[in-house]
Amino acid sequence: MFTPYLHFHNRLRLPMNLQKLETGNASFDHISHGGLPIGRTTLVAGSSGSAKTLFGAQFLALGIQLFNQPGVFVTFEEQVDDIRKNLKSFNWDIDTWEKEGKWIFVDAAPKEEVIIAVGDFDLSAFRIRLESAVRKCKAQRVVIDSIGSIFTQFHEEMHTIRRELIQVALTLSRLGATSIITAERLEEYGKITRFGVEEFLTDNVVILRNVLHNEKRRRTIEILKFRGSNHEKGENPFSINPEKAIVIIPLSAMNLKHVSSNERITSGIPALDEMINGGFYKGSINLVSGAIGAGKTLLVANFINGIRANKERCLLMAFEESCEQLYRNAAGWGIDFNQLEEEGLLKVICIYPEISSLEDHFINIQEVVKNFKPDRIAIDSLSALSRTSGDKGFREFIIAFTSYLKHQEITGMFTSNTPLLAGGTSDTEGNISPITDTIILLRYVEMSGEMQRSIAVLKMRGSRHDSSIRKFSITDQGANIGRHFEGISGILTGNPMLIKLE
Amino acid sequence: MSKHVFQLYINGHSLTSIEAVDTIVKICRENLNGNYQLEIIDIQKDPDKAEEAGIIAIPTLIRMKPVPVSRIIGALNVRSRVLAALGISSMHVQV
Repeated sequence: MFTPYLHFHNRLRLPMNLQKLETGNASFDHISHGGLPIGRTTLVAGSSGSAKTLFGAQFLALGIQLFNQPGVFVTFEEQVDDIRKNLKSFNWDIDTWEKEGKWIFVDAAPKEEVIIAVGDFDLSAFRIRLESAVRKCKAQRVVIDSIGSIFTQFHEEMHTIRRELIQVALTLSRLGATSIITAERLEEYGKITRFGVEEFLTDNVVILRNVLHNEKRRRTIEILKFRGSNHEKGENPFSINPEKAIVIIPLSAMNLKHVSSNERITSGIPALDEMINGGFYKGSINLVSGAIGAGKTLLVANFINGIRANKERCLLMAFEESCEQLYRNAAGWGIDFNQLEEEGLLKVICIYPEISSLEDHFINIQEVVKNFKPDRIAIDSLSALSRTSGDKGFREFIIAFTSYLKHQEITGMFTSNTPLLAGGTSDTEGNISPITDTIILLRYVEMSGEMQRSIAVLKMRGSRHDSSIRKFSITDQGANIGRHFEGISGILTGNPMLIKLE
Repeated sequence: MSKHVFQLYINGHSLTSIEAVDTIVKICRENLNGNYQLEIIDIQKDPDKAEEAGIIAIPTLIRMKPVPVSRIIGALNVRSRVLAALGISSMHVQV
């Protein structure tokens, strides 16, 4: 989905990198540099509700769907029927796979009957059942979910369970299947697991988190260690998608090795093209900042209209206005969205940002981009989108999103609202401005009892640009960029003053 | 007294398995007066049965009858506790 893994495969031959088994979840294979350590056990730890079971089930389901690798699912906690039911929503046909012998459940969930312990015991029955299931379907993938509940089932015999789990781990490694053992943890940041399972399953640890911060849920995945192998460090946000289950948004893996194009594309306004020395660079990220009514959407409409010349395609994600409103406004500036849409050059998606999380928006946009293959994308506005997430989450989204667009060589125009009418910046901009290529400021100028609009190019990476602050007006014909404000200073700070010219 | 029906799951000749067989056979003989049925299942030979019954620990003794069904795990080496867990009162002890 993001970068090709070719260079990782080449490195597999080095002693530092043990072989990995591609899980089939492209985003996980990306942050793990190729998948889970092959033939080994990985501990997946997370608090309750952190999607451990889903992570395991997805590992098995993708194994069957994509690689025809059978799998065994051991449940120590949930009843088998409940798991079947819960996983139905992901279009995984577990019933059929069970009939075909590709998916085997080993039911080790608590029984209704009372269990009393009298004297020593071991878990050899479990090991033998596990082994027989693995052999029966020639399983290459095994999931044990979750190991913590066996401690609760046999709570008086902690040391026995520990001793026996070491045996289970040995059995797994002898069978050579690539396996996941999930374990509960009580805090999001602290001891790895509740019962110290990591003490004997230490080699490979993945942590799933589900943190509530500023009233927003934020799910992340972190590969804590893969002994003897490389992987991306740190937390990466993920989302639970109704179709694709766990989708990770890799942040750390975003590299800055994009192809920088020298090709220019028009902003749709000839005078603005002149200000930026011939147009935006293809594949660049361009930010338009301004207060309400300053002309941001107008610039977006022109940016869209700019696709006409070369029959480019543009995707517009509108988070502030309804489609009707947008089309009407554009028509008022002499731009016909309907026609562009009919020609298949334009796709407009108007949604409330609040309908889903930022991660889901990202995944949805990726999906649309995959199908529609736009050359340009416009987002109006980023500020509205930023409401759906905490500050950190938004910053991560921006990094991942801009990097994604650059990989796809899509030229982006984002708008951002400034809270003050004149001058000022917004938090949104603080997050995004370092990674944008061009920043265009639209500011009100209050002069002699009149509100005037201004436009200025604050920065443009890799190119000369006009440094003057120009008059900007909105007419029936659309945007009109005029001469620069002569003899006035302080526009950007919001305190314009007339300077006497000599 | 109603009939007792037991299943005992063992793993070959492991120490705890031998102990458990020993104890339950003694209890049956000495406390149940022939009114019992005992099935001993070796999971090495019959893993599918262990799968069906959802056995995890070895040894596991299941009292199928009288209901409610109950399970005792372990080597069963404290006879008085096993008797209590199986609900066999010492009244039936026949010397």
